[in-house]
Amino acid sequence: MILLCRLALLVSLIAANLAWAAHSFENTAIVRTVELGGASVHVVTTYAVKALEPKSSVYTIALSPNEHEKTSWLEVRQKGQQVALSLQPVLLDTANNLYLYRAELPKQLAINETTNLIVETVQTHATYPWPEQAEQGDEQALKYETDLYVLSPYKTSVQRTKIRTLSPRIISYTTPEGIDFTTDNPVTKSGATITYGPYHNIPASSTLEFVQQHQKHITAHYNHDFPCAEIATLKRAAEISHWGANLNIQDEIVLHNAGPTLKGHFSRLQFQSQTFYNRPSPTILNWFTLHLPAGIRNVYYYDLIGNVSTSRLRTAPSVPKTLSGNPNQYSVMEVRPRYPLLGGWNYTFTLGWDAPLADSTSFDSKTGKYIVGVPVMTVIPDAVVDDAEVKIVLPEGATDVEFFPPFPAKNTTISTHVTYLDTVGRPAVTFHYERLTDKHSGIIYVTYKVPFSAHLRKPLAVAAGLIGVFVLSMGWRRVDMRLDTKQKL
Amino acid sequence: MLAYSLPSDISPSTFVNTASLVRIVALGLISAAAISSRLFAVVNFESIIHEFDPWFNYRATRVLASKGFYEFWNWFDPTAWYPLGRVVGGTIYPGLMATSGVIYNILHALNLPVDIRNICVLLAPGFSAFTAWATYMFTKEMKDESAGLLAAAFIGIVPGYISRSVAGSYDNEAIAIFLLMFTFYAWIKALKTGSALFGTIAALFYFYMVAAWGGYAFITNMIPLHAFVLLLMGRYTNRLYVAYCSWYAIGTLSSMQVPFVGFQPVRTSEHMAALGIFGLLQIVAFAQLIRSHVTSKQFQDLLFVSVISAAVLGMAAMVLLTYKGWIAPWTGRFYSLWDTGYAKKYIPIIASVSEHQPTAWPSFFMDLHMLTFLFPFGVLVLFRTLRDEHVFVIIYAVMGTYFAGVMVRLMLTLTPCVCVASAVGLSQLIDTFMDPREPDVGEEEEKEDGSSTTATPSKKAAKKEKNAAPVTGVGAIDDIVSTLSIAGGLEKDKSAKAKTGIFGLDTRMVVLFNTAAMLLFFVLHCTWVTSNAYSSPSVVLASSNPDGSQHIIDDFREAYYWLRMNTKEDAVVMSWWDYGYQIAGMADRVTLVDNNTWNNTHIATVGKAMSSPEEVAYPILRKHDVDYVLVIFGGLIGYSGDDINKFLWMVRIAQGVWPDEIQEPNYFTQQGEYRVDDQASKAMKDSLMYKMSYYRFAELFGGGQVVDRVRQQYLPKQGPTLDYLDEAFTSENWIVRIFQVKKEDLLGRDLKSANGFAQGKKRKRSKPPVKRRVLA
Repeated sequence: MILLCRLALLVSLIAANLAWAAHSFENTAIVRTVELGGASVHVVTTYAVKALEPKSSVYTIALSPNEHEKTSWLEVRQKGQQVALSLQPVLLDTANNLYLYRAELPKQLAINETTNLIVETVQTHATYPWPEQAEQGDEQALKYETDLYVLSPYKTSVQRTKIRTLSPRIISYTTPEGIDFTTDNPVTKSGATITYGPYHNIPASSTLEFVQQHQKHITAHYNHDFPCAEIATLKRAAEISHWGANLNIQDEIVLHNAGPTLKGHFSRLQFQSQTFYNRPSPTILNWFTLHLPAGIRNVYYYDLIGNVSTSRLRTAPSVPKTLSGNPNQYSVMEVRPRYPLLGGWNYTFTLGWDAPLADSTSFDSKTGKYIVGVPVMTVIPDAVVDDAEVKIVLPEGATDVEFFPPFPAKNTTISTHVTYLDTVGRPAVTFHYERLTDKHSGIIYVTYKVPFSAHLRKPLAVAAGLIGVFVLSMGWRRVDMRLDTKQKL
Repeated sequence: MLAYSLPSDISPSTFVNTASLVRIVALGLISAAAISSRLFAVVNFESIIHEFDPWFNYRATRVLASKGFYEFWNWFDPTAWYPLGRVVGGTIYPGLMATSGVIYNILHALNLPVDIRNICVLLAPGFSAFTAWATYMFTKEMKDESAGLLAAAFIGIVPGYISRSVAGSYDNEAIAIFLLMFTFYAWIKALKTGSALFGTIAALFYFYMVAAWGGYAFITNMIPLHAFVLLLMGRYTNRLYVAYCSWYAIGTLSSMQVPFVGFQPVRTSEHMAALGIFGLLQIVAFAQLIRSHVTSKQFQDLLFVSVISAAVLGMAAMVLLTYKGWIAPWTGRFYSLWDTGYAKKYIPIIASVSEHQPTAWPSFFMDLHMLTFLFPFGVLVLFRTLRDEHVFVIIYAVMGTYFAGVMVRLMLTLTPCVCVASAVGLSQLIDTFMDPREPDVGEEEEKEDGSSTTATPSKKAAKKEKNAAPVTGVGAIDDIVSTLSIAGGLEKDKSAKAKTGIFGLDTRMVVLFNTAAMLLFFVLHCTWVTSNAYSSPSVVLASSNPDGSQHIIDDFREAYYWLRMNTKEDAVVMSWWDYGYQIAGMADRVTLVDNNTWNNTHIATVGKAMSSPEEVAYPILRKHDVDYVLVIFGGLIGYSGDDINKFLWMVRIAQGVWPDEIQEPNYFTQQGEYRVDDQASKAMKDSLMYKMSYYRFAELFGGGQVVDRVRQQYLPKQGPTLDYLDEAFTSENWIVRIFQVKKEDLLGRDLKSANGFAQGKKRKRSKPPVKRRVLA
């Protein structure tokens, strides 16, 4: 799989160079808005595009290697449209050290026809705490670094970069010097927004030459009042049971507070007085809320040494797929770790629940297949999942398994999972993901067939086992094991 | 004459089948009651391992389940008793872990992926059902099936046994009581039938028992004692010889296979009784052989001389061997069984355990309820019959009662005997009052029956007779009476017995109704005690909110999990030994001392560190690579089992090793009171334990009056300060406090002056400053 990708990449390199060498577009304006958060940063870049050639339909977006590495999610839309544009595979332009994303426009543009493209990306681990250590009562400050110019293979008339933070307390930001494209102040700050630009008449910038001559590095240092939760690993297992009409979902989560690490020690006294005066410290992750599906039951929350009794749950009634209910209903779980998580502390836990199978499964009578939908993950707000594994265990004897993930997984494996009195085991599909954010809340659909005989397998196996035991004990009762049969005890 | 009419058209086979079905159903229900009454802990709390020792057993079982038996057998645990380590495989009774491991493997072979924790939690309730069955079998041998069922019901729900076998109480006792009862059953069966097969079964279960619990010594001494008493009573039979010899030979050889036991069966005093009786039986058997060959007079002389000389020789050999050191003398724990003050004087570590204290009277009633007074009655009933097996129960009753009086813990070994004896007694009572026959008045001659002279007291005959009772007018009473007369060797006038009996239905109803009411109260009491007193995991505490809902205090797990997640994996945690197993099990960190109290000096070291001032304790901590010190402090929410309340034991144990440095009286006030407030003694206030417990505690009250809710004392507003330790973590209700040991100061100052410098305090200059030496 990876090898194939590499091959495609190499082959298409030459084609790539040819493709954007033709200057088919011009950017009349580029506005990049960076919404700074904790572990994830949302970047929305709007390209106002004008076609210079007839029948222009493929627009190229360039990302520097640094940005590409941080970006975990990228979507291109036309302004006013909900549907995302399809993207061609990512290309590495080795000559200029850039990654190229090529979006296909739904209809070709005529000369001088304009359109607005919105590129939305989510960057993970783009910020880091600075200072790296903080005491329990200290503020939490983060640093974000990025490049000044948005790179584009096309000429750009006006370019702006806005950096927004949640609180107006921005500690410092870079003032670039020696800017060739503006005469005004290169940067202005008002409230919680830092604006770089406008910069005028920037040539095609996706070249090594431009990057070396003009590209600047900018840094924003800001206060962030919310803890930075990070999920190091998430292991989700979804088990489908037709006999029990049940979908069990279980998440094993390793949680880490990625804020500044605790300097000195944790003082319960200080924490309790902070709680008492309702002044929560920004570095302490004390609790968070999860939106679980409606209609769940038997929710369990435990860790390696047993049940955690500190959480609260409000369940919403079940919403079967066939009925027209409010799809936005969900159960709310207030998850509280055993102890408050200070900067750099870890916590692991397991959270699971049973849900009615009808809420997430339907049967297609035309093909005779079941379709089950399992969410990739339960979103924890503003948290990044570094490494995720989603395993969907189908009923024993399921055949014709097909799966449709909402976005491609790093790799997918099919294995056999043997559990509760299984004889041949159940097919299981495992998806591996990396760096998931709140944008990755899609649903994995899996379709499969279950023949009637497979349903009967387990009861028959259990019945056979029990009959065996009874027959053996019948035989045992009827055999005389005594050596001396004349002697009576 | 019958008090009430009985159906007479039932065929004997129907009767037998129905009785058998009723018995099976009753046993099933008893098992269900036994299991479910032990599940209070799971229902009220969760499926969790309780208390202290079970955490070690659980941890060992996990090793066994994940790494296999050989790895477990050779397990050396470097994380316990740091830096000494512990050879786990050779210092435990592996029976419990092996049992769980076998169950775990069977279930997984059937593709039932049950968590090992759940197996461990539910092992004790499961085995309590087996215990009920074994007690049924045992009591059946004593009297009959109905007594057996009563005994099974008693043992199923009696609090004395439940206290050690609730779900989650994963300790050796969980399976040991079943093994105890079954070994005894097999022994009685072997004795009654003279069967080597049952002797071997007894030996095999004895081996299982040895592998499972240190209390096996009870069996090791009970069976020889029984045999010895039978000899003294002149009841030597070949059956006794076969049963005892097959049990002893196979049982001893197999018990020596357990590494922790090893050569003890031939080298320690506790096992000498069994060996001695084995020898004595050979002599007696030989004497019997001779008796069949020589005349009676010669035999008397011969016997006299040989018995005397054998006894003298045996004793001399024993003393000599003990003196030479070939046989280990009695251990301290054994002495403390005879002299209750012994442990307090010489082995404070044993005395410091609450379950080693003498039993208080209320706890007898709490654990046994009405069985307390049914028990002597049952023993009396047994005396009236006094067959060989009844002698066993009587000896057991005497020994068990004594031991239960000496140590709270041994209540457990008494309980089965109480259940058996009470069941026999109660069943006798019910038999008497259920018997429909009324005594004949003035018609003595009528009562002449052939079947009552049946000599065999075997159960089949008894059943037949009972079955025939309504028709022939002969029943259980006659049966028992006839056995009594045979066993007692007395020829009594049979016609006299027909005169005794119960007249009318009303008297019967009064007694039976009372009995039923008593049984009902017994059930209520057992349920109440179980749910209230014995079902707390002690790892998790429960209190109730103002609205009546349950509030869980989970400080222990909070702190242990913090240790597990946020400290170095090889961090060394020092705490009092009570928490050693829990830290190893829940926090997975290295401990200095734990509940396997094998090294008194090491424990005393910890006690010394805890009871010394910081400057003295610090070098001890550093020498043992201690990273964290953990203390339990209940002063905020009133948790009375905290370290300040255990503190005197630490002082005492440390004093035992360092009498010059630690003295118990220094920790009391002038008036001899144990105080923590501003009148506390200097040694108390300076001790590391005091400082850690109350560190920053006063600040919590914001200038108000500082109350320690456990000791109900007011503390000074200026709390203690720490120079050598840092507070690392305190749990939500301040129950668990963890302190980090500071590293040595980088500039070579002692930490106290370094701290003073950091706080801007000037050092008093009494002498001119020493010029800094030039480093070579």
